Amino acid sequence: MTRPLVVFDKVEKSFANFMAVKPTSFEIAQGEFLAIMGPSGCGKTTTLRMLAGLEAPTGGEIRFDGRVMNDVKPNDRDTPMVWQSLALFPFLNARENVEFGLKMRGVEPAERRKRALDWLERLGIGQFAERNVAKLSGGQRQRVALARALVTEPKILLLDEPLSALDAHLVIRMQSVLTKLQKELGITFVYVTHSQSEAFAMADRVIIMAQGEIAQIGKAKDIYRAPANKFVAEFVGRNNIFEGKVKSKTGKSLNVETPLGVFQVPAEGAPSTAAGSPLSFVVAADLVQLSATKPDAANVVECQLISEQFMGTTVTLFLEAKDGSEIKVQIGQRELETINIKNSAKLYASWPETRAHVLAG
Amino acid sequence: MASERRIDLYACCFRAPLLIWQSLFFVVPLGFMFIMSFWLVKNYRMTPAFAFDNWAKMLFWEVMWRSYGYTLGLAALTTAVASALAFPAAYVLAFRFSDAARRWAIFLLIIPFFTSYLVRVYAWQVVLAGNGVLSAFLGWFGMEPVSVLNSPVATVVGYMTLSFPLVLLLQTISLAAIDKSLIEAAHNLGCGNFRTVFAVLIPAARVGLIVAALFCFILSFGDFVSPYYLGGSSPPTLSIMIVDSTKSGQQWPRAAVIAVIMIMTLISIAFAAVTLAYRRRG
Repeated sequence: MTRPLVVFDKVEKSFANFMAVKPTSFEIAQGEFLAIMGPSGCGKTTTLRMLAGLEAPTGGEIRFDGRVMNDVKPNDRDTPMVWQSLALFPFLNARENVEFGLKMRGVEPAERRKRALDWLERLGIGQFAERNVAKLSGGQRQRVALARALVTEPKILLLDEPLSALDAHLVIRMQSVLTKLQKELGITFVYVTHSQSEAFAMADRVIIMAQGEIAQIGKAKDIYRAPANKFVAEFVGRNNIFEGKVKSKTGKSLNVETPLGVFQVPAEGAPSTAAGSPLSFVVAADLVQLSATKPDAANVVECQLISEQFMGTTVTLFLEAKDGSEIKVQIGQRELETINIKNSAKLYASWPETRAHVLAG
Repeated sequence: MASERRIDLYACCFRAPLLIWQSLFFVVPLGFMFIMSFWLVKNYRMTPAFAFDNWAKMLFWEVMWRSYGYTLGLAALTTAVASALAFPAAYVLAFRFSDAARRWAIFLLIIPFFTSYLVRVYAWQVVLAGNGVLSAFLGWFGMEPVSVLNSPVATVVGYMTLSFPLVLLLQTISLAAIDKSLIEAAHNLGCGNFRTVFAVLIPAARVGLIVAALFCFILSFGDFVSPYYLGGSSPPTLSIMIVDSTKSGQQWPRAAVIAVIMIMTLISIAFAAVTLAYRRRG
């Protein structure tokens, strides 16, 4: 195991009247693409800004490449950042913007010009080098900001919701540009976003923050399949969350009593298996089976169709169970065609016991 | 077509008051003054004519050009000193003060305009005179009394009284309007605090800084009060020469020549300054 590039050791940040980041510890490996995700105000941007030195932590220690960074000025760090607003210098053209960091490091004019042009070329905007940044399109400006941050060949790149101002189709394009760059350069990317699709599509690992704390940290797939708590399960979406009480334990499964009936879930990961203790579990929408006739299965919910949402080849169905709670089912368009949903007053959502995931918190 | 015409009319309604005002009180008097610069004075009376006598007299009069250079130089000096002195103060107001404190500071900067400029200049007379406040103050430290009054220094002090609060106000507002993320981006790219001033703040606030300097120059260049009451009229500035010309021998046409020269100078400088302020690359 190589030494982590970044270590957050019980780092906290409090402003005058609230705690933006509660004592938080995590590590970022060399060459990792880490996304920090969460709703607005969860402390994700503050965490990133502390790494760049733009906010000073009020407790704990940030180490970068083995060095304690708490008192290092932002201009003495090599942690270039891409802003949500991009923060391009409006009084400089594209090339001069990219050259800025090199100029500050005392690189000779000819050399920095060459390196800036190389980067603009690499990101496919070489022909706009001498153009004022105000006259560039959103996607082009994005690339200038990336080039400006990467031209000094840093070990890490910080990105603060860089794609949130772009059109949807450009976001997908820039996502592939970013992941490709990160693979080629082999440097660490820390990417702050509120967008689950951006985080899950690009990142090796994802941190989910809520109210200044890490709610879960792990691979995108793990967070999606095995949310650690109710917040993550809800934030990730497309999850059916059931709350109830443990009724009894049989072997490796628990019988959980909920307003919709008794369900069987795996006992593994349950905070308590004692009868009567509260227990929540989730079943991801794409793991639920739907049928027009009542299946012979242990975990079945009877429900009615409320609405549908088409997303290309998959469809998300929103159903209502008899107690009014919503059941989400995500299935393929072709599979859906085999079920006669339109003419069925009642539908049955079901899932094998192993597909339920018990929430630890 | 009809809708285009309606929009034109609508727009004209808004432009009209400004156009009428400017023509009545600026273009027409300016035109009249320009015409008057060709008139002649006979037996202390102005007679309409189309003669180049006044222009020839003034353009080839050495005293006039010495005064022109002096006025231009003093106004430029005041602009440079005011801009340089105001900048650190504006920086502190814009970046080191809380929003509430900055509002108070801006309010306090407006207060000097409540009192008449003339009153403030008289106050300076009391301070700068040979037996005035400044000499008394120096006397406490065992220094010789000095009379700054009736010197170019006193004139510059007067010019500053007029323009400094405005320069500081405009600089503060333009610095405070800079997107803070630009400053953070500069730091993030390895630019220290001091260097950021020259690499980011001054270029980003360029329009405001130039406009502030331009106002300072315009106010100083045309001012009559300070060179007269503090500078002692010697050497005379152009504004004093205008007054002198009208007083001595009813030489309104010659005064008009000076005024036209001054206005052309201000128009050229203002045009150059605004062009510089809004110049864009790429």
